[in-house]
Amino acid sequence: MLRKKSDKELGVVKKKSKGASLQAKKSKAGWFFIAPFLLGFILIYLPIIADSIKYSFHEIKVISGGGYDLIWVGLANYKTALFSEEYITALTNGITSLIVDIPTILLFSLFIAILLNQKMIGRAAFRAIFFIPVILSTGLIADIDAGNALTNMMGQEGGAIDTGAGTNAAAEIVSAADLQNLFNNMIVGSELATYVTDMVNNIFDIVNRSGVQMLIFLSGLQGISPAIYESCQIEGASAWETFWKITLPMISPMILVNAVYTIIDSFTSESNEVMNYIAEVYATPGSGNVLSSAMSWMYFLIVILIVAIVAGIFSSVVFYQRRD
Amino acid sequence: MTNQATNAPKIKKESKNKIKVEFDRTPLLERLKAKFLNMYTVKNIVWFLFRFLLLLGVAYVILFPFYSKIASSFMSAQDFVDVTVRLIPKYPTLDTYKAIIVENGYLSALLNTVLLAGSCALIQTFVCCLIAYGFAKFKFKFNSALFLLVVFTMVVPHSTLKLSMFMEFRYFDILGIMNFLGGGVVDKIAIFEDTSMNLLNSYWPLWILSATGLAFKNGLYIFLLRQFFKGVPDELEESAYVDGAGVLRTFVQIILPLSVPMLITVFMFAFSWQWTDNFYTETFFTTTGPTLMPDIVAIPTGLNVTGAASSLYTAAITNTCGLMIILPLVLIYAFAQKYIVQGIERSGITG
Repeated sequence: MLRKKSDKELGVVKKKSKGASLQAKKSKAGWFFIAPFLLGFILIYLPIIADSIKYSFHEIKVISGGGYDLIWVGLANYKTALFSEEYITALTNGITSLIVDIPTILLFSLFIAILLNQKMIGRAAFRAIFFIPVILSTGLIADIDAGNALTNMMGQEGGAIDTGAGTNAAAEIVSAADLQNLFNNMIVGSELATYVTDMVNNIFDIVNRSGVQMLIFLSGLQGISPAIYESCQIEGASAWETFWKITLPMISPMILVNAVYTIIDSFTSESNEVMNYIAEVYATPGSGNVLSSAMSWMYFLIVILIVAIVAGIFSSVVFYQRRD
Repeated sequence: MTNQATNAPKIKKESKNKIKVEFDRTPLLERLKAKFLNMYTVKNIVWFLFRFLLLLGVAYVILFPFYSKIASSFMSAQDFVDVTVRLIPKYPTLDTYKAIIVENGYLSALLNTVLLAGSCALIQTFVCCLIAYGFAKFKFKFNSALFLLVVFTMVVPHSTLKLSMFMEFRYFDILGIMNFLGGGVVDKIAIFEDTSMNLLNSYWPLWILSATGLAFKNGLYIFLLRQFFKGVPDELEESAYVDGAGVLRTFVQIILPLSVPMLITVFMFAFSWQWTDNFYTETFFTTTGPTLMPDIVAIPTGLNVTGAASSLYTAAITNTCGLMIILPLVLIYAFAQKYIVQGIERSGITG
């Protein structure tokens, strides 16, 4: 005991004489590297967040000379939001549609990633095509597409051409295959049938939104050592068994990452119903912008809750090959 | 014992010959049948066809809208009335393109957006790289807790912060410094006359957000890069330290060259997402600001859209605007797409 102590003290003295230890130096370097984020978070992001929360409790009045006045109204904005029927409908609709979409996106992107990971003719071309939506169908372009789909639905003119909104292409495929009929005649429940037909109807949407997830899954699949598959083959496991016993556990961390990313991405994307409604409220003159703050903070709490639940469920079944 | 030993190779030779003779005696057709008409081959072919058709189908779903958009962009007003015209225009015209370039100010929007998206993407790539390297490779207090803050910036919906972001940059003032200076200390300097700066309609808000890793989807980039750096073996840096390189030099000379594909991927994402972004541009740029890409999505007044099938024609025009917006991105994507897959493959993301 005594000896150890003296050793330690000796070490401390040595370190002091030489300046900071390597560990201390490295931790300082770590602070240096993350400094931009830390500074930005404290100086810019926190005030923005604080302001946003503050605004949600206030009424805002622009003074004609430039500047604005805040009037404390307490929970009034939240009350208005909660009692606004449109908000509640948008919220419930948005959340239910996302609950359907998120598993679909996960399954689809996993499936396509597995396909794109196999050796075949034209793999590079398929990969290039599948990642197009990640780059090209975001923000502005998604807005244009959504606008066109809306005018198509309202106009309903016997179209001479397909105007190019993706929903058209998908709708054509569905009507050609007449999937709904097919499924209704089968013995499977009508709920499953509507789920599948909804999925096909939204296929363009789903493809557009699963690009990043596909990339993440693909990287995960690439990370699995081929030696494991080889030994499986030698032991006589079928492809089906290999998928369930090897691929799925090995890729489960990516499923967690993707689940969380998909939830965040679809809940915060501007094409989402709730976000649309909030943006609409923001644009209304008068107290619209503070009301939208209150609405989106409530929405944020719901999103956090859902992310926490999903992350909790998934992380209990995730398998890590090595913990380091 | 000796008998067996001498016999063993003989038997092998005989059986080899036997197989060869049998092989020669079976007709070609039988041989082919045996080779290809088993479950294994059939299964492989069916799987191959299924996979190929499925991928082709999804590729069609992705590409068809682009094809029909391109086709309709060359159509004139007559084509939309003519029922026989489906995907190939009968009266092809470049009027739509001309009108968008001339009337909607496409060229100035292009220039401004190249400047904005290019500078933002460069800053974002560099800063996110720094931050991610710090989180991935250094142990310091609160490392994981601080990383949760990065995740937090990802989770907060942008619209929540729209008003306060607008206010922050409309009355820009860090920690009240400007207010302090303007409040009598150096009131003779003209810049400080206002107690705050109005940064709207300039590139500063986006530059500031980019430089602090807070701009659009920067949390995702930090996350991706952090996973990538975690996969880089520590021995590389340790050997550099042993050779006497400092932390910064190791980062610049060892780590950065290693991560070029990943950096190109992040730059590509940052550039194209900033390019098509309409949330931040809407928030920070008013109508008096520089012309950016979202501003060119409009119906040019020179085109007559009041005839029959006007909604189709309008849709085609907005689609053409969209096409012209993504045209530069397509060119960049053609160059960078192989790095995207490469960069992501090497990142080896784990939970």
